[in-house]
Amino acid sequence: MDALVTKAAQNLLLILVGAAALWITVATDEYLNYVKPGFRPLLVAAAVALIALGAAGVRRDWTDGTGHDAARTDADHAGTDDGHDHGHGPRVAWLLCLPALAIFLIAPPALGSFTASRDGARSAAPPPPPAEGFGALKQAPSGAPTEMTLGEYIGRSFEAQIGDPARLRGAPVKLTGFATPRAKGGWHLTRLRMSCCAGDAIPLRVVVHGAKSPPTGSWVQVVGTWRPPSSGAVATGVHELSAMSVHPIKKPRNAYEG
Amino acid sequence: MRDGPTARVADHDEALPPPGWGRSGSTATPGARALWIFAAIAMLLVVGRLWVAPAIAAESLDAWATIFVAICVQALPFLVFGVTLSAAITAFVPPSFFNRVLPRRPAAAVPAAAVAGAVLPGCECASVPVAGGLMARGVAPAAALTFLLAAPAINPVVLVATAVAFPRDPEMVLGRFLASIVVAVLAGWLWLRFGKGEWLRIPRPATDGIGRWERFRQAMRHDIMHAGGFLVVGGLAAATINVIVPANWVSGVAGIPWLSVLTLAVLAVLMSICSEADAFVAASLTQFSPTAKLAFLVVGPMVDLKLIALQAGIFGPRFAVRFVPLTFVLAVAVSALVGWMLW
Repeated sequence: MDALVTKAAQNLLLILVGAAALWITVATDEYLNYVKPGFRPLLVAAAVALIALGAAGVRRDWTDGTGHDAARTDADHAGTDDGHDHGHGPRVAWLLCLPALAIFLIAPPALGSFTASRDGARSAAPPPPPAEGFGALKQAPSGAPTEMTLGEYIGRSFEAQIGDPARLRGAPVKLTGFATPRAKGGWHLTRLRMSCCAGDAIPLRVVVHGAKSPPTGSWVQVVGTWRPPSSGAVATGVHELSAMSVHPIKKPRNAYEG
Repeated sequence: MRDGPTARVADHDEALPPPGWGRSGSTATPGARALWIFAAIAMLLVVGRLWVAPAIAAESLDAWATIFVAICVQALPFLVFGVTLSAAITAFVPPSFFNRVLPRRPAAAVPAAAVAGAVLPGCECASVPVAGGLMARGVAPAAALTFLLAAPAINPVVLVATAVAFPRDPEMVLGRFLASIVVAVLAGWLWLRFGKGEWLRIPRPATDGIGRWERFRQAMRHDIMHAGGFLVVGGLAAATINVIVPANWVSGVAGIPWLSVLTLAVLAVLMSICSEADAFVAASLTQFSPTAKLAFLVVGPMVDLKLIALQAGIFGPRFAVRFVPLTFVLAVAVSALVGWMLW
């Protein structure tokens, strides 16, 4: 009877995992806390496949009666399943519950200031700018600030530090991120960039001057202008902004920068 | 139930390796127990750390849970894809097909399998079950293992990602391709020469007498149960490392050449990043030499925590304890050599 229970449990596990994957992609936007937006179709397809597989197993057990399918499965797998299993499915399969439980019970939030603050050594890299450069800054005619990602701002600031500072100087920009403390002067406007999943998220940081620091971890939109490094035209690895205004905002739907 | 030595002897008798090439049901208990301990330690580290150090707020537990779920969520589509492909190979491709397309001599099949790895567009989570399916279909284990090592590193998706991550170093793409294929072929040949069939548990024999679709369904469920469970173990360990190891440990060793290669190789194992994403992480490790980054890119798709767990799950722990060190040493040595030639 144990083997039967295990087989039914396996089907239920498949459905549980598939349902968790559907929950974070279709029912909610929670998948954005873990992976990039482009991942959604892949996840939905995988979830549908898992649920179909589990459902086929359930249906099979239902229509077959339970007897011979189970017996045959045991015979097939007796030599290949782990020796300690004594005919059960692999015990390790129960661990498949963990991510599903974590999704349903904990709903882990997007990474934030904790990760950004402890990951100091990995933030130094300027993200690679596009090979052809960023091109001219598109200025709105009304003089409204240009909205850009922290990644783009850092890339443009890097260009301006080693090349032509006139292209960025004085142009108002609007940046979005959360506040993290900085040891010497100003505070950091920070956002995490992930290349594939939250496990590889790296913080992007811009030093903000001329405004009081919002509470650590709170989301803000900062309008300001580029501040050239005091040391002259060298790549400093530190990118700064003189703030004109700081507005608190709600956490964006996608907390990461792509 | 366990009423003395007799019962245990009977257990062992059942577990004797059945005759047949490479198939062994011999007892996996010590190795499997080790994996359980591995999982328990990963959990203990997290719980202990959070318990012992009240200075750490609940934020770190949140970060841990996010990274754990993220690794599982990211790997899930590739795992399902790999398992589907593997089950399809087992259920629908006749064994004669592989005898026709692969050279008959295993020594020649190994390089052919390495080149074939270039066509599987996926990461390492997909390649483990596919290699298992190939073995179940009678492909020589050495050739299937070469495919397992080569596919996640040299397929077009991964090479394009590498080119995007290193826009100013096209040598990195070339180096990655060369080093990975050399490691895969060498590992295959070494396994052919020195490997013993009894170390390797070939996933499942062909099951005759049931319909193809039924066989497909059973094979797929069987693989997901094994590989998926072990993937979770790998995810637990990788998330723990990610939250616990301070990032500044890493930067301290970047200046010492041999140590930096070894450090990034070990880091690749610990971080367990998907091979489609690892190039971006490697590019962000700016303090390190190109050779060290190459080692990171070559080791990562072949040896990492979740792969070790997956391989132990699909091929048995006795296989993993031999194959993993072999691959790691080869990968580090070959990347150092290729790096020395390129830069």
